[in-house]
Amino acid sequence: MPPEPSSSGAGPRRYRPVLAFILDNLVWLILLVALTAFGLFIPKFLQIGIFLNILEQSTFVGVIAVGLSLTLVAGEMDLSVESVMALAAMLVALTFGTGGAGGGLELHPAWLAFPVSLAMALGIGAAVGALNGLLVVRFEINAFIVTLASYIWGRGLVVALSGGRSVYGLPDALRGVAVQRLLGVPLLAWVLIVVYLAFAFLLAKTPFGRHLFMIGGNAVASNRAGIRVARNVILAFLLSGMLAGLAGWLLASRTAGATANLGIGMLFQAFAAVVIGGVSLRGGVGRLSGVFAGVLLLSSIQTAINVMGMPPHYTMMIQGLLVLAAVLLDTAKNNLRRSYF
Amino acid sequence: MPAAALLEIIDIRKSFGAIEALRGVTLSVFPGEVVALLGDNGAGKSTLVKIVAGELRQSSGRVVYDGIERHFASPGDAKAVGIETVYQDLSLCTNLDVVANFFMGRELTRRVLGLPVLRDREMEAETARALAAGGTQIPSLRTRVEHLSGGQRQAIELNRFVHWGGKLVILDEPFAALGVEQTRRGLETVDRVRARGIGVILITHVMAQAFAVADRIVVMRQGAIAGDLRTGETSPDEVVHLITGGIERIGAAPRHVQVQPEKGANA
Repeated sequence: MPPEPSSSGAGPRRYRPVLAFILDNLVWLILLVALTAFGLFIPKFLQIGIFLNILEQSTFVGVIAVGLSLTLVAGEMDLSVESVMALAAMLVALTFGTGGAGGGLELHPAWLAFPVSLAMALGIGAAVGALNGLLVVRFEINAFIVTLASYIWGRGLVVALSGGRSVYGLPDALRGVAVQRLLGVPLLAWVLIVVYLAFAFLLAKTPFGRHLFMIGGNAVASNRAGIRVARNVILAFLLSGMLAGLAGWLLASRTAGATANLGIGMLFQAFAAVVIGGVSLRGGVGRLSGVFAGVLLLSSIQTAINVMGMPPHYTMMIQGLLVLAAVLLDTAKNNLRRSYF
Repeated sequence: MPAAALLEIIDIRKSFGAIEALRGVTLSVFPGEVVALLGDNGAGKSTLVKIVAGELRQSSGRVVYDGIERHFASPGDAKAVGIETVYQDLSLCTNLDVVANFFMGRELTRRVLGLPVLRDREMEAETARALAAGGTQIPSLRTRVEHLSGGQRQAIELNRFVHWGGKLVILDEPFAALGVEQTRRGLETVDRVRARGIGVILITHVMAQAFAVADRIVVMRQGAIAGDLRTGETSPDEVVHLITGGIERIGAAPRHVQVQPEKGANA
């Protein structure tokens, strides 16, 4: 065996860091191109207001996409995020809503509704997440099956709890996060940004995050290295559930209530964003910055179609094509990597 | 030889359903001793070391390590008391870089607001030092392991156990993917580890490797010890006979082993 084969001569080597950087951040480049194209061809698209709107709209899908990414990185998946989000929203709305099926609970002082409802949403998310994790780890049931079941019964529970009726009229204490702005930027957008920063840090800079990548890459080796695989996987599901709970709380606040079909379809958008963002479905690969760009890209396309006045079903068709394009792109990227690195 | 054994395996049995993989194995390893474990495929070598490494639990029998009977619930437990294992199928996360793999499960951290945060720069520097000390050249420590050659991967594993030390090292066919020169370096590594007073169990199929580095050669056959010999007092021929079962049991094997009676060639 020759000592340390130098991969492909001196030429490409010089460009390798540049190429690597481009490949790693390809989604951002695509986002930039898309936004530029929209700006050029759609009148009145280039406005701060529209960009803030894109950001704000991305919040719900964006937050559940983080949970989905955590579980995918660990080599599992969490399909239940959409239903958990709806469940959390419905519970909050049923408890505090004043109209429809709402219970109209009033707390004194009134601001108490804010922390109490948040705790409820996070709590229900954590409970479903922990259940998912336990079933996957202790009973060794495939995560796809476990979380598909949760996706179905979660939605069923939402319908059952509400009796199919909608809830409206949430107290002001709960509406604040959806209507207030900070430094001219909607609070919802701030929440999205903070969630991404926090979890990007968790994944990249803490032992927990690194261990999730290791488990997703090689669970046997992780176990041999003394990493507590079961505990980390359950924790990933728990966090995913809590993030879905948070998304539900934000969604209830935003819609000032809840309906039985709240948020339907967001799972697929989240999945699309995650795949476009470069998270591997085989586990162990992905970065939240890519996912963030993926979420923004989907949301930008949606907004562009709205602004152009095109029928909304075009959004779904384009998003579907985008997912396919993303997977093809991923394969192409890997081939390129293999020949240059 | 020091009086106290580092590791004593006493009458270990292990069944997988109806299959008896280990049928009463007794073996000891002393500090600073290299024991080569030989045997045909399916002789039970890997099962035995997986029990010592905490990955499997024995059906009966005792594992005494460092003078205390141990019941490892996980590989992490064995690692915590200083048993390092290099497996036949590599235990690397190929989706991560060299540094992450080197520090797998033992990341250096500092506390920031009570949260453990990885100290990447320190880990990279330490990995670089350890690899340089082991004579391994890897272009960039930030390369993902999937882009490295089989030899480079094995070198990472070997350097990893040398760096972390411990008291007992189990090497399950560690040189399988290595070239001639790298194997020579690997054997030197084993020598260095022994010189530090660490006990080594080396599983191998290659007779020459066993004779090159081992103090003692233990042969397993059909889930039992077929022979336990000092390297200087045996020959490759004898060991081959033991492996294939063509000879009466020799040495301090604790339990009688069934051998084919028609072959009576003695050493």
